[in-house]
Parts: sequence; structure tokens; C-alpha cells
Amino acid sequence: MGPEQLARRLVQRAKRKGAKQAEAYVELGRQSSCRVRDGQIEDLTQATSKGAGLRVLKDRRLGFAYTSDFQEGSLDAFVERALALAEAAAPNPHNGLPERKDLGTPCPPEHLFDPAVVDLPSDWKIKTALEVERAGRSVDPRIATFDSVGAGDHVAETYVASSEGASAGYSGTYVYLYAAPVASDGQQHQVAYWSDYKRYLGDLESPEAVGLEAARRALRMLGAKKVKSQRVPVVLDPTMAGSFIAAVAHAANGDAVYKKSSVLAPLKGKVIAAEHVTIVDDGLLDRGLGTSPVDGEGVATRVTPIVERGVLRSFLYDAQTARKAKARTTGNAMRGYSSLPYIGTNNLRLEPGKVGPEEIIRGVKRGLYVTAMLGRGADIVTGDYSRGANGLWIEDGELAFPVQEVTVAGNLLGMLKSIDAIGNDLQFRSSVLAPTIRFAELTVAGE
Amino acid sequence: MSRSKRAAVPASARPPPPPPLLPVGLVERLLAAAMERGGDFAEVYVERAETTAVVLEERRVKSAQTGLVQGVGLRVIAGHKVGYAYSDDLEDEALFRAARTAALIAQSGGSPREFKVSRSPAPMYYRVAQPLSQVEVARKADLVLRADRAAHAYDKRVKVVTATYADVTKRIWIASTRGRFAEDTQDLCRLGVSVVAEGKNRERRSGYYGGGGRVSFNHFDTFTPEQCAREAARQAIATLGAAEAEAGPQTVVLAPGWSGILLHEAVGHGLEADFIRKKTSLFAGKMGQKVASEKVTVIDDGTVANSRGSINVDDEGNPGERKVLIENGVLKGYMYDALNAEMMGERSTGSGRRESFKHKPLPRMTNTYLAPGDDSPEDILRSVKRGLYCAQFGGGQVDITNGNFVFEVSEAYQIEDGKLGRPVKNAMLIGVGPEALKNVTMVGCDPMPDPGMGTCGKDGQSVPVGVGLPTLRIDGITVGGTRVSR
Repeated sequence: MGPEQLARRLVQRAKRKGAKQAEAYVELGRQSSCRVRDGQIEDLTQATSKGAGLRVLKDRRLGFAYTSDFQEGSLDAFVERALALAEAAAPNPHNGLPERKDLGTPCPPEHLFDPAVVDLPSDWKIKTALEVERAGRSVDPRIATFDSVGAGDHVAETYVASSEGASAGYSGTYVYLYAAPVASDGQQHQVAYWSDYKRYLGDLESPEAVGLEAARRALRMLGAKKVKSQRVPVVLDPTMAGSFIAAVAHAANGDAVYKKSSVLAPLKGKVIAAEHVTIVDDGLLDRGLGTSPVDGEGVATRVTPIVERGVLRSFLYDAQTARKAKARTTGNAMRGYSSLPYIGTNNLRLEPGKVGPEEIIRGVKRGLYVTAMLGRGADIVTGDYSRGANGLWIEDGELAFPVQEVTVAGNLLGMLKSIDAIGNDLQFRSSVLAPTIRFAELTVAGE
Repeated sequence: MSRSKRAAVPASARPPPPPPLLPVGLVERLLAAAMERGGDFAEVYVERAETTAVVLEERRVKSAQTGLVQGVGLRVIAGHKVGYAYSDDLEDEALFRAARTAALIAQSGGSPREFKVSRSPAPMYYRVAQPLSQVEVARKADLVLRADRAAHAYDKRVKVVTATYADVTKRIWIASTRGRFAEDTQDLCRLGVSVVAEGKNRERRSGYYGGGGRVSFNHFDTFTPEQCAREAARQAIATLGAAEAEAGPQTVVLAPGWSGILLHEAVGHGLEADFIRKKTSLFAGKMGQKVASEKVTVIDDGTVANSRGSINVDDEGNPGERKVLIENGVLKGYMYDALNAEMMGERSTGSGRRESFKHKPLPRMTNTYLAPGDDSPEDILRSVKRGLYCAQFGGGQVDITNGNFVFEVSEAYQIEDGKLGRPVKNAMLIGVGPEALKNVTMVGCDPMPDPGMGTCGKDGQSVPVGVGLPTLRIDGITVGGTRVSR
């Protein structure tokens, strides 16, 4: 039975057994990966997986159940389990599925599926991972070992159908390679992680490029030391800038805003950042890793500006949160078969600026260039932001020496306003896309 | 909270066995199929997990859900290479396909062989009166409703309460070509309450508390939702009006209990055998050397009765163990899964754990704690002229290669002349594992396990863990605050 057929059948059965509304979300996947070590295969994994989640409503009472057991004989019991939960639940006027008018018209699912990924020969992963390792090792004898080196792919098919007219699905492919080399000078060990992740095989960086960059990042950290506690300009490389805008998007979560549990809650329409800051959630990005025609509850995805030219424009919603907050869903319901929809981002992007990253660093007399961080980051209730940081010290506009065991701290709101440079080096290797950014001043804690 | 004693349950108290997860004959034939191409070792891992979750927000039960996931993971080892495949389709055809896929790792060409497995008895460090999956959902919903009422009743400044109850009843089988057949039923539950309080000038701060373990549902008769709710609310209110934390090295005192994640991050991960074998941990090659203050003794113990991180058997079928990792400051042991143990000429310490049948086992922690010392908690506080008292903690993270770890402090107070002063916010501790442990100058006589709320992530796999710590004084650790005084 295909996912579409199964989803429709689950909805019909739930309706027949007394559900007022029903929605089924079905996932099928196939994944394979390889890790290598010292020129040999370390492990090979290959698998298929599947699952279905069923959301039912009865008199505004919500029940949800999931299963990975698709046997015909088990499906009735599964549907009944969801209904029994609805019967035991308390009614909530906000409960409900997206209505027909919320669903919108999904864009056709273009550029999500690359047949070349499906047809990859089984030894591609092994060969590619070995090339990544070889390239990383060839850079310098101080690349002593690897935490891990690997490559893999996966193919996923999802379908969502509901009694309210949702009916959409798509297939997507993903292919990736990564390396985490360890550099060692006898005194200190430093690891760095570098990877590329794409929907299309042809877009993937070469194994050499990934191996070399990973090694370069590990080597330049050798000899890292603490610096004194001080307030200085802080530059985040594109990956770390991505983690910062992810924290901003987290604070723009419509549910946290509705509960006034986000520092952004009272600021809609206000200037919260410098004028050159534009952050969008883009569900339609061509070949984007987070692109899909519909979100996790069948609502058409779109482009939602969160911050536009410094102004807080919109929050992110799924259908249920939108209903209680008297807003419209923005197509940001995330989903796995084992969970109810929750609000998240499709592709999150900080729009790039015009200056090169070198120029951003050149503009700093003394400061910190951050290339890796530890810890979760922002407390979105207060906006307090504090993370462990690794990187390079900037002295007179040049990268001077590696730094570790320091933290970078501020408050989300203050940090957004202090962004004084945005690079032109937008990076596209995950569903969060950002260029290099610079904060005019943050607290670096060390000695 | 008190430290539970280790105790095994007498055999006579055991309930009748539940129906088999798969026919044993099928498991044996899968092992044969997995060895078709001549591997050295094959293992079948069968899992069936039933989950329940109830979420309360905005004063009502938002959702109740149940789930069922089952599947089989097949692992074949040939030399040092691992082939892994899994299937959530339990039809014979799908399972044999998975076995043959895992078998592809071996190239030596095998000959048809038969394998027989027999049950090995396992200890029992936890057992529940009634599987949690069979406890009525309404009783679980009652816990979150009670928590909500208690949190709101605690103080008018409590504005937002979210409460979650979640449990799993997981049955596992592990059978291998060495003839081993181990099984376990692992019930696990957790109640968590999160509170946001609003003070003057609309300042909002949050608090979190909760716990559980491998316990019967009546655990919540004594570890009550009211108690959790009041503690979460207390934290949120106590931190209203907190001052900026001072950045830089300070003397810190850690409150007992959940602060044990300091050990988990600062040393625990770095003592896992995979990192040692690959020499990516800064503790590699340091066996027998002094890596911490002599006041520091660290133990990882999978056998603590009813604790969240305990395991009767690990996910490779080896019994859970108590292991001394660091004794009086000297490195004594690493944590081994079977594969790394074999490659390193050691024995498994029952540390091979995996999130589910979709994952290969990795060496992991269970319950990691610091043995108590001689100092009274009052003396420890009194000994500090100026420093930071860390009362509650968020999460932590470590880079095992350079040893840098961070540790979020969610409730902290300035210490002035041995007494608690005003609350401070946005403090985070950062250090390098062995250096931080060398700076441990006082260890309390008040050992305390955490209430059962930890989940550890490694290589994308989450497993439940326990931690524990007595009151501790660490000198000169960097506090990542926002205020620079010099």
C-alpha cells in the first residue's frame, strides 16, 4: 500500500468510527551511510523505515497515536487507540485541523528529488568517504586521527491527508558527506567538523574540498588559549551565524509569543535590529533542504519575513496556534510521524550583505572570530544568550592566534541591534543559511 | 531525595512472561542468514516500545498521545568492520532482507551454519508493579493537572505553566552468534513542569523541575506533581530581579544533585572507549595518571535501583555494572561496549547502549556520580569569601577532544563572606575537564542523585542517564557572564 492510499484509508476509518475530523501523516524512508577509518570501512548501515501518525478530533477533543506497524490486522486497533484518547481528553475550543481556506495552493514539488541520488551505486559512499579521509590526512602530518568520516544518502516520501481537504505529498532526496579530523601537536588536540548536505548529487562539494576544509579548521586551532575577560567586537563565521539566527527564529515561535514566553512577544512592527538585517523563513527555496510543497499538516509553504530591514514583521505559526492567537498559519508546522505538529522553520535565511568576510575581520582592531560553539544559546523567555566559544583572536584586522575556553554572552535584543556588518558569503549547506556577521560589542569571558 | 540502595528483586516476585517478541527459531535463522558471507559475529536486536505522553498548557490538557514502534536491528562484524541494517517491518521476508544486507560487510565467503541461543539470566535492578503502558491515561493526565494547579497556587506572579508526563515500556531482546540470548523490559517515566513568572517591569523568568525513573507509577505518590510544580515556580520567582553575572574566573559552589552533569560533561564522555580507541579524547593514554584532585572519585553505576540510567543488561546483552572511573584523582577505568573492548583487548563493562533498533550500540554512561567527601555543605559555603553559588542547572555540552565543556546555570547567587547574596543571571561555567577537576577543593558529605531528568545525546542517539553530586567547591573556574568589572 502506498503512503497516499494508507493515509486516505486511515482518515476514512477514523471518520467511520466516529471522528469529527481526522488527519493521517505517513512517512516512508530509505537510508544508507558509510563511515571509514584508516583507509578501511568502519561501518555500513542500510535500512528502510516507515510510520504513520493519526490526529483525530471528536467534539473538540484531541487524540493522537502513531505506529510503525502497517499490518492490515493492526490498523483498526491503531485507529481505535487514537479515538479512545480523544474520548478521554478534555475539550479545547482551539483544537482543530487546518481548514480548507488555510490549506492554500501548494507549489508543485520541484527540485526536491534527484534520481541520481536514488541510483547511486552502493560503493559510492565508501569511495567518497575514503577520498574525504585521504584529502584531510594529506594536508599535514599533524592530522593524527579522525573522530569520524563518512558519507550517506536518504530518500523520504511523505503524505498527509485529512477530512478537511488536505491531500498532498512529496518525495525528497538528500546526500551528504562529512569529516571530523583531529589535529595534534603533542601538547593539544583539536577537532573540527565540516560537512556538506544537498538534495542533488551534482550540487555536493567534492570530497577533497570537504576533507581539506575540515583539516584546515582543526589545524588552525592548535595552541588555542584563553583570553582575558573583555567587551570586544565578535565575528561569527557563517555556520555560527546560522545558529544565532536559529535562536532568533526560535523566539519568533508563535506559540511562545502567544504565551508571552518570548522576548519578541511585544515587539511586532517595531525596529529590533539594524536596518541591514532581514531574516526570512523560505519554504520555497529552490533545492532547499527544508523546502517542501506543504508543511506537516498539509498547508502550502511560503516565504515569511521574520525581520525585514530591521523591523519585526511576523511570527511563525501552525494552524492550531494561529487559531488561538487569531493569526493565520504561516505553513510552519513541522512533523515526524511520531509527533503532533510543532512550530519550526522550513529554510531559514539571513539575507547577505555586500562585504566580504575578510573585510569584516579587517575592520576589527581587537576582537574574537568564532568558529565553533558549545551549549544551547539563548533563553528565549529573557533573551539572555551565553555560549562557550572556540575561534581565533583578531588583532589589528588579522587573525592572530587560536582561542578556546571562553564564553560569548549578551542579550538577543541587544545583539540584534549591534550587528554592524553582514557578509556576502551566504552559506548553503543546511536548512539554515547565513553569511559571516559581526557584533559591535559582546562580552567575552575568559581569564 | 535520598540515594536508593541497590537491590535485586527475588525471582518469586516476577510476573508471568509476556508473549515473545519474535519466534526464537526465527531469530536463530536470522543469525544464520547474517553469517552467510562469513562474518565473525552477528547479533539480532529486537525492540518493541509503547509510549504515552500527556501535555498540559494554558491550564488544560493540550494533548494525550500513545505510540507503538517495533523493529529489528541486525549487526554483523567482520574483522573491525561493522555492517548494520534494520527493519520496522517484522515480516520474515523483510527481516531476512535486512540480515542479508548487514551480511554484505563480510567478504570472506561463509558456509551455511546453524546457531542456537539460550537465555542467560539477568539481574534486576528495577521492576515495576504494572507496566507503565498499562496505567490508564487519565491517571497520567491527572498528574499534569495537579502540577498546573499547584504552580498557579504557589504565587500570583506565576503566569505560564507547561507540564509534560511521558513514559515508555520498552522490551528488548538481544541474541548473538555466541549463543547469548538476553532480554529486558525497561519501563521509564518522567514528569516535568516548566513555569514562567512575571515580576516588576514585565520581567519574565523561567523555572523547570521534574523527575522520574524506572519506577512504578506510584512513584508520584511520594515525588508529587505539587512538589515539582512548587520547585519550578520557586526557581522562576527566585531569579526575578537577578543581576548580571560577572565574567571571569571565580570560586563556585555547586548545589548537590543535578549538578552532576558537570561530571558527565567534564570527564564522563571523555572516558568512553570509542574516543579512547580513536585517541580523540584528551583522556586517551592517561590510565593510572592523576587527572583530578585527590578528593575526586567518579563512579558510573548501571545498577542503582530504579534509577533513570540503570540497565539490567546493556543493548548488547551484557549485564549492567558499577565501574570506578576515577579513584582519589587517579584514572582507573574507561567505559567499554563489546566491540571497542574486543578491539582494545579489554572486556565489556556493560556500557553498550543504543537509542533504538535503528542505531548501533556505542559506549555510553548510565548513572554517573561523585563519591561523597567529608565536608559539610554549610562549611563549604562558609569557606568562600567571594564567589558564585550555583543552585540549579540547565544542560551542558563537551568537546571531548580539547576537553572544553560548558554547563548552564539557571539559578545562581553571589556569595559574599560565606553567605548567599543576590541572584545573578545568565551565568555559564566553562572549563577544561581535567583542569576543572584538579581545582575541586572541597567535596560535601551530602551525596545526592538527580531526580531523574537527564537525557544524553551522542552521535545523534539519545539515551536516559542519571547523575549525582554532593555539594562541591571548585576554585578558579571561568564564569561566562556579561559584566566585566576590570
